[in-house]
Formats: sequence, structure tokens, C-alpha cells
Amino acid sequence: MKRIFRSNSKKEVLRILMAVFAALLIGFVITLFFSKDPIGAYVSFLTGPVTKLNRFGDWIQESITLALLGLAFTLVFKAEIFSLGAEGQMVVGALVSGVVALFVPLPSYFLIPLALIAGSLAGFLLGIIPGYLKAYLKANEIVSSLMLNTIAIKIYEYILTNFLKAPSGGYMASVYFPPEGTLSSFFPNIPFLANIRNIWVDQTTITTLIYVVVIAVFVVAYLMYRTPFGYELRMLGANIKFARYGGTDVKRATMLVTAVSGIFAGLAGAHLSMGVHARLLLNITAGLGFEGVVVALLARNNPLAVPITALAYGYMRAGADIMERSSDVSREMVVVIQAIIILLITAERMFPEVRRRVKTRRSKAAVKPTPKSRS
Amino acid sequence: MSIQVVLGSIFSAIFLASIIRISTPLILPALGGLISDLSGAPNIALEGMMLAGALAGVLVSSYTHSVWLGLLAGMLAGLLISMLLAYFHLILKTDPILAGVAINILCSGGTIFVLYVLTGDKGNSSTLMSGALPNVQIPFIKDIPLIGTIVSGHNILTYAAFLLSWLVSVLLYKTSFGTHLRAAGENSLAASTAGINVVRTRVIALGISGILAGLGGINMSMGYLTIFQRDMTAGRGFIALAAVFLGGRTPMGTLLAAVFFGSADALSNMLGSLKIPPQLVQIIPYVATIVALVVYNIRRQAQIISQARKFQEKHMM
Repeated sequence: MKRIFRSNSKKEVLRILMAVFAALLIGFVITLFFSKDPIGAYVSFLTGPVTKLNRFGDWIQESITLALLGLAFTLVFKAEIFSLGAEGQMVVGALVSGVVALFVPLPSYFLIPLALIAGSLAGFLLGIIPGYLKAYLKANEIVSSLMLNTIAIKIYEYILTNFLKAPSGGYMASVYFPPEGTLSSFFPNIPFLANIRNIWVDQTTITTLIYVVVIAVFVVAYLMYRTPFGYELRMLGANIKFARYGGTDVKRATMLVTAVSGIFAGLAGAHLSMGVHARLLLNITAGLGFEGVVVALLARNNPLAVPITALAYGYMRAGADIMERSSDVSREMVVVIQAIIILLITAERMFPEVRRRVKTRRSKAAVKPTPKSRS
Repeated sequence: MSIQVVLGSIFSAIFLASIIRISTPLILPALGGLISDLSGAPNIALEGMMLAGALAGVLVSSYTHSVWLGLLAGMLAGLLISMLLAYFHLILKTDPILAGVAINILCSGGTIFVLYVLTGDKGNSSTLMSGALPNVQIPFIKDIPLIGTIVSGHNILTYAAFLLSWLVSVLLYKTSFGTHLRAAGENSLAASTAGINVVRTRVIALGISGILAGLGGINMSMGYLTIFQRDMTAGRGFIALAAVFLGGRTPMGTLLAAVFFGSADALSNMLGSLKIPPQLVQIIPYVATIVALVVYNIRRQAQIISQARKFQEKHMM
């Protein structure tokens, strides 16, 4: 594990911090132009999520979804497969887990694992498709995964409006899930802790899925760095010709990577339906699917860094929501900031100064001991 | 009976005319995608460039009351976004796909942001009085019964799209710049050895593709509709990209592929009047895109294998 952390060197962290800072600065300049109270807007953007307990809860909730999506993108990006199908996989994950939660009459400790597994299986199955098309039929995975996203969303809308819609009310949503099918609070219901629960925890809606996320992070890290599958995945990304030469079944590996990535996107969907909303509703993902891209890129495709970057990015998104409510700046500003972050991080030649400085410092440090050893 | 009605209307002149109309916002960005793809700089950001063009056209035409200035602004917006992509991809060596994804996100969020700042509405620009580019009635032809309905009376950009497909093929195959462009895409090392400035060639190619995508966006917001709606391109930039692959990376093939996708879209509009759930009908163009992509690749693989076999028979037997 130590080696994994070392690969994410000081230089990279510095680069990423600079990119985020620069993007926030650009966002501030934009706010200066368009807002009547730019300082107030930006303060609410940057401090909003920690000012109230329920906002804090929303931030963590959002970060859970983002971390799962980030893991999904980490897997495919590490293999240099640009499958952007997380949105669609998330939608089918939400749908399938939601249907299980709604219609299967089981006690909650059976029902919830069953629904989570069903949701991630749905993501897995949908994830196979772009990988299969790319590996065996050489179809461009960007185009096919994006088309699949739209198809998945339309099918979701079809099933929701025709079979699951609640009879009362015009709003396009299913009935609320029964309590057995809803994710419970992450805080255990133990009598002598009831006081803490009442004061602190009940104001937030953080669910038990937070533990699943922690496990998922280590599972992905283990998969990626300690299993043959992970080795093949990294070989695909590093040098596909060498991978083929070394005996990797490139086609099978490609298909598996997009499918395994789908598991985590499906779980993210299950979190939306069973945790955040406790029902199925129209446009349930609200375009979250692509937000995972920035989480994975900020983490430099290192699964162990994903929780940190998901929290950081979730903070920005939660802050943007609060900014929109308390000022005249719309939340799309954070979308612009997000795009700038992606551009700055992926630009190889951006911030060359930092690289050079770190390099010279390191070479100095490497040179120093030699005269000593001579004497 | 209803099926007869549908079949009857599918083969009607109005339906054929609607295919031409609906294909236009696919043809224009597809041509752009073709040029940049041939130059070796893949342009994933067609979608974003279309959105930028669509919004710029609506805004400028509404504030200046001139649709032609709106047209110009839309083209410039596409060009500007493409130069951003070119700067990051070619100068700062960003991965073109991630840069493209970022620019799509930037344009999707940015257009909504600007729309909200200017109109206070995040959904559409209905409060702005924006113009529409004129439709063209072709003299004489418009009086011919069937052909007149199909060919005449389209938006001026529709005719421009077909004209531009021809112009693009001339540019690519009949000019020295086109040769340089294809050489840069085929083998950039060989091209630069031969004295071609690969980076400059790709910048120009991306610029042209941005202008074409901007035109596609204007066609959406000032022809097809006369307002801007958030994310109104609805994946057309990516379908256009698929048209490039499906068309075998040639101008005429791309044009035909775009018209094919346009027909799938037109068909889904037509079937919308039946009692089929609208969501299932709306899927058609997207499913068609995937199926077409797969069929094309199967055929191409078979072609490659048969070519290799021929080569073997010729030289090794």
C-alpha cells in the first residue's frame, strides 16, 4: 500500500492544488462580473456546507454518490478506456434497486443487501455493452456509451411513467419506499447513544452506504494493485501492445473493466434511489454521471485518493447549491469551474514551473550525499 | 388502419422533406468532425461548440435585430471554443478526449449560466425576441408537385449544409491544404518531415470544425426552432461523430450517414403520433447509431480480412 501512496507524489498533489485554486480564482472573476454581491456569493459558496448541520449532511450524502462514481471512472480511465456510461449505469442501478426495494417483501437486513446487489448487477450488465462493442466490434466506446446513456434514461422514464408512477399527484415519481427498503442512518440505534443521535445525527441524512463506500474504496484498490485483473487493467492503460504481447486477453479485459466499473456506478444509483430520495423520480441523477470524471481525475485515477477528492468536489457542489439559494449567482458556475479543473489538470504542460522546481530540488538532494560518501 | 396511415405518411413528400430538415443539424457538425478527425485531432467537443453557437446566435440576433450578425456570432462562438480546444490539446498537450469532455461540460454549464444572467431563466430564451434565418423558395422547382415539396422551402442553412459537403470534399481532395491536412492525420511524423506544419494544420482543421459545429447549433436555435433551450443539442454532436465513423471518414459517406441518422430521428417524430410510448420511440436514433456503428465495423473487419487474403494469394502463392 505504501508504494501506491508514493506514486501520487508531492509534485502531483501540488499541481492538482494549483489547478483547483486557479479554477476557483477564475470562478471568482466570473462572479465579479455577473453578481451584484460577488463577495457574499463567494463566501456562501466556500463556507456554506459547514454552516448548518443539515447542510453538512447533504454534503456527505453527495460525496458518497460522487465517491462511487469516481471509483467507476477510476477503473476505466486507468485502463485508458473512455467509457462515459456511468450516467446510464447509475440510472439502471437506481431503477433495479428501487424496484427490489418497492416490491420484494423481506425484512430490511435481507432486502437492503439484495437491492444493493441487484442495483450493482444492473450496472455491471449495462457496463458490459460498451466494453464488448469496443473489444470485439471496434466500436468507439465514447459514442456507444453516450448513446447507451440516453437509451437507459428513456427506458427508465418509460418504466417510471407507465408502471411505477404513484397514483396520486401529478409529479412524476413512484411512491416512497417502505422503511425496510430505505437505507437507514449510518449511526446505529443503540439505547445509550440515543442522546447523541437525537442531537446530532437525526438532522443529517447520512446513510449506512458510507460504510459500503469505505469498503468499496479498498476493494477497488485491492483489485487494481493486487490482482491479475488489476494488473491487466493497468497494462491496458500503460501499453496495450505490450499487454497483448505479454499474454493478456485484451478483449476480455476491456469488457471486464467497463463491466466492473458499472458495478460502482450502479451502486451510486442505488444510493440515489434508496438513500437520498427514498423513491424513484424523473431525472433522478440530475446529470451527476459526468461529475465522477472530475473526481477520478483529481484523484489521478488512484482509488485510495477518491474519498478525499469526492469530499472536496462534493463540498464545491453543495456550496454551489447554497450560493444559488442565497445569492444571484446560479449553480452552473460550479460546472464551469469543474470544466476548468479538468482542463488544467489534464494539461501536461500547464504549471511546468512547479515540475522543474521540484525536479531540481530532488536532483540537488540526490547529488548531495555523493561527496560525503567519497570522503 | 393506423399502420396504413403511417406507411402512407412515411413515403410522403412531407416526410422526405422532414428528413432533410432534421438531418441538417447533424450534417454540419459531422462535416466538422470529419475535417478535424482526418487532421489527426479528434474533436469530441462538437456538442459543446453547437451549444455555444446556438446561444450566441440567439443572443446577438435578439440584441442587434439582425439574423446575419447572429449567424456570424454563432460561427465565431464555435470558432472560439474550438480554439480553446486547440490551445489545450495542441499547445498544452492535454489528452484530446478529456479536453473535449471538459469543453462539453463547460459549454453545457456556461450556456445555462449566461442565459440565466441575461434572462433570469435557466430553461430557454423565450423572453428574448430572437430571429430566424430565412427559408428559401427555389423558383420553378417549388412549383413541381412532389419534388417542390421535398426540395424547396428549406432553411437556408439546409442548402448550405449540402453545399458545404461538396466544398469540404473539394477542400480535402483537391487543394494542397487538404493534402497536408490528411497527411498530418495519416502520419504526423512523415508530414512534418516533409515540411508540413502539423500543429498549424490541425489548428486550422479544428477551427473549421468549430465553425461548422457552430453553424449546426445556429441551425438548431435559429432555423429548426427559434429559441435557445438548455442542452438543446441533445447528443447531436455525438451522433455526428458516429456519422463520421459510419461514413468511412469521407465527406459523401459522412453526409449519407448523417441523413441516415436524420431519418431515424424523423421516423421517431412520425411514430410519436401513434399510441406507442414516446420514450420508446425517442430511443430509435440512439439505437440506430449503435447498430450502425457495429454493422459498419463488422463490415470493415471483413473487408480487411478479405484484402489480406487477396494480398496473400497474389504475393505468396
